[in-house]
Amino acid sequence: MRQSRAARLGLMLLQLLLALIVLLPFFWMVSVSLKPPTEPFAIPARLWPDDPTIDNYVTAFRPEFRTYFLNSLVVSLSTVVITVTLGLLAAYSFTRAQLAAISALVGLVVLAQMFPHSAIIIPIYKMMRGANLLNTYWSLILAYVSVTLPVAIWMLRGFLLKLPAALEESAAIDGAGPLRVFWDIVVPLSRPGLIATAVYVLIVTWQEFLFALSFTSTKEMRTLPVGLNDFIGQYGIRYGELMASSVMVSLPVMAVFFFLQRYFVAGITAGAVKG
Amino acid sequence: MRQDRRLHWLLLAPALVLMAVMLYYPMLGTVYESLHETSFLNPDPKFAGLALYRRVLADGTFAQVLANSVVWTLGVVLLQNVLGFLTALLLNQNLPMQGALRAVVLLPFILPGVVAAILWRFMYDPQLGLVNSLLLQAGLIENSVAWLADSRMAMASVVVAAVWKGFPFSMLIYLAALQNVDRSQIEAAMLDGAGPVRRLIDVTLPAIRDVVVVNIVLTLILTFNYFDIIWVLTKGGPQSATHIFPTKIYETGFGQFRFGEAATYGVFSILVLAVLVALYAIVQGGANRRRAAA
Repeated sequence: MRQSRAARLGLMLLQLLLALIVLLPFFWMVSVSLKPPTEPFAIPARLWPDDPTIDNYVTAFRPEFRTYFLNSLVVSLSTVVITVTLGLLAAYSFTRAQLAAISALVGLVVLAQMFPHSAIIIPIYKMMRGANLLNTYWSLILAYVSVTLPVAIWMLRGFLLKLPAALEESAAIDGAGPLRVFWDIVVPLSRPGLIATAVYVLIVTWQEFLFALSFTSTKEMRTLPVGLNDFIGQYGIRYGELMASSVMVSLPVMAVFFFLQRYFVAGITAGAVKG
Repeated sequence: MRQDRRLHWLLLAPALVLMAVMLYYPMLGTVYESLHETSFLNPDPKFAGLALYRRVLADGTFAQVLANSVVWTLGVVLLQNVLGFLTALLLNQNLPMQGALRAVVLLPFILPGVVAAILWRFMYDPQLGLVNSLLLQAGLIENSVAWLADSRMAMASVVVAAVWKGFPFSMLIYLAALQNVDRSQIEAAMLDGAGPVRRLIDVTLPAIRDVVVVNIVLTLILTFNYFDIIWVLTKGGPQSATHIFPTKIYETGFGQFRFGEAATYGVFSILVLAVLVALYAIVQGGANRRRAAA
C-alpha cells in the first residue's frame, strides 16, 4: 500500500502514542521498584530514580513470597499437565469418533466456557469443604483443570481438525489401532497446538484470583495473586516493595510468553477467526 | 468398530466427568442454594422458597449492582473493542517496527490481573500516583483527584484500568482477521478509486463481520464476569459505586457467609448476562437484515 509521506509520519506518531500508553505504567512499575526505600516520592513524579538499587527486590523476596511462589508453581504446572493431557484425549475423540452424541457434547463444551466463575463458586466451595479439600493444592488444581478444560478442548479440537487425514488413514490401513495412531501420529503432529494450549492454561492459572482467594485460608497455602493482594494491607503504601513483588510475579509468565509467543498467538486466534 | 467406540468413550470420560461434576452440577447447585438459607450462625441450609429472591430484590444495593454491571460491561466492551480494532488497523500498515510493537502491545494482556490492578491502584494514588502528577503538570486538573475514593469517578477509573488490560486481546483477534482479508478485493477497490475509509467500510468491515461479533460476545462475557480488577482496586466501593455481580457475590458469600443470598445474586447474574447477550444478538440480527434489504 502506498501512503504519502505525511500520512506515514502521522501513523508513526500514532504508533509512538500507542507504545507510550502501553509502556508508561510498566516503566513506572519498574522505576518505582528500583527506587531506594529512603528516596521520597517527588511531586511532580520523577520518572527514574537518581540512584537505582535492587534493595526492594531483596526485601520483597521474603520467606512468605517464596512460599506463595512455590504454591503457584505447583498448582499452575499440575493444572497445565492435567488439562492439556485430558484436553488432548477428549479433543482426539471429539474429532475422530463416529458417535451420534458428539455434536451435542461439543455444544456442552462450548456452553461450559461461558459459565461465570462467581456464579458457580458456592456449590464448588461446599463440595470442596465436604471432601475436606479446602486449603489444599487439590481444591485449586481441580477447580483450575475444570474451568480451563472447555477452552483447552476447543483450542485442541480446532487444531486436530486441521491435521491432514492421510497419515492417520495410511497408518490405520497398515493395521494400527486408534491408540497407536494417537500416540505415533497425532501426539507428535499436535505439538504446536499443545504448546499454545499449555501457554494459555499457564497464563490463566498463574493469575487466577477468585478461587484461590476463596479456597485458601492460611499463609502456607496462598498463591502469588492472593499473597500480593494481602501485601497491600500489610505494608500500607510501601510501593517500592509492592512494585518489586509485582515485577517478580509477572516475570515468569512474561518469559514463557516471549519464548512461545508465535504458538500462542496462532492458537488463540485460530479459534476466534476460523471457528 | 464397536471396540473403537468404547475406546473413544473412555478417552472422553475424564473430561466429561470433570465438567459434569465441577461445572454443570454447580450450575444447578447455585439454583438449589438460592432456595435455601444459610448464615454464619446457622450453617445448615434451610429451605426458604423464594424468600431470598424477594430479600435481594428489596435490598437497595441490588438495583445499584445491576446498573453498575451494565455500565461497567458496556463501557469496557465498547472502549476495548474500538481501541482494539483501531490498534489492529494501525499495526497492519507495514510500518517500521511493527513486529516489535505487536509484541509490546500484548504486555498488559499477559500481566496477571492482580498485578495490573495493584499497578493502577498506585497510578491512581491521590498523592503519589502518576495520573494526578501528569494531569497536574499538563494543567488539565487544578487539584489532585481521588480517582478511586470519589464515587463519581470510581467507575470510570476502573473501566479505564480494565480497558488498558483488555484491549490487547481484542487487538490480537482483530489483527488476525485483518490479515485474513483477501488482498485482491482491496486492490480491486483501490483500482476503482476507493480511498482508505471507503475501502474500510466497503471491503474490510464486511469481510471481518463474523470476527467482530465473536469478539464482542467474548469480551462481553469475560468483562461481565471479571472479578480481579474491581476487587483489588475498590472492593466494590466507595458506597457500592463499583459493585458488580462477581464482587457482590464474593462479598456476600465469603465476607458474610450468606451463601443463599450469594447464590441468589449468582442466579440473577446468569439471567442478566443471558439478557445482555440476547439483546446484542437482536441488535446484530436487525443490522444484518437492514444490510440484506439494502
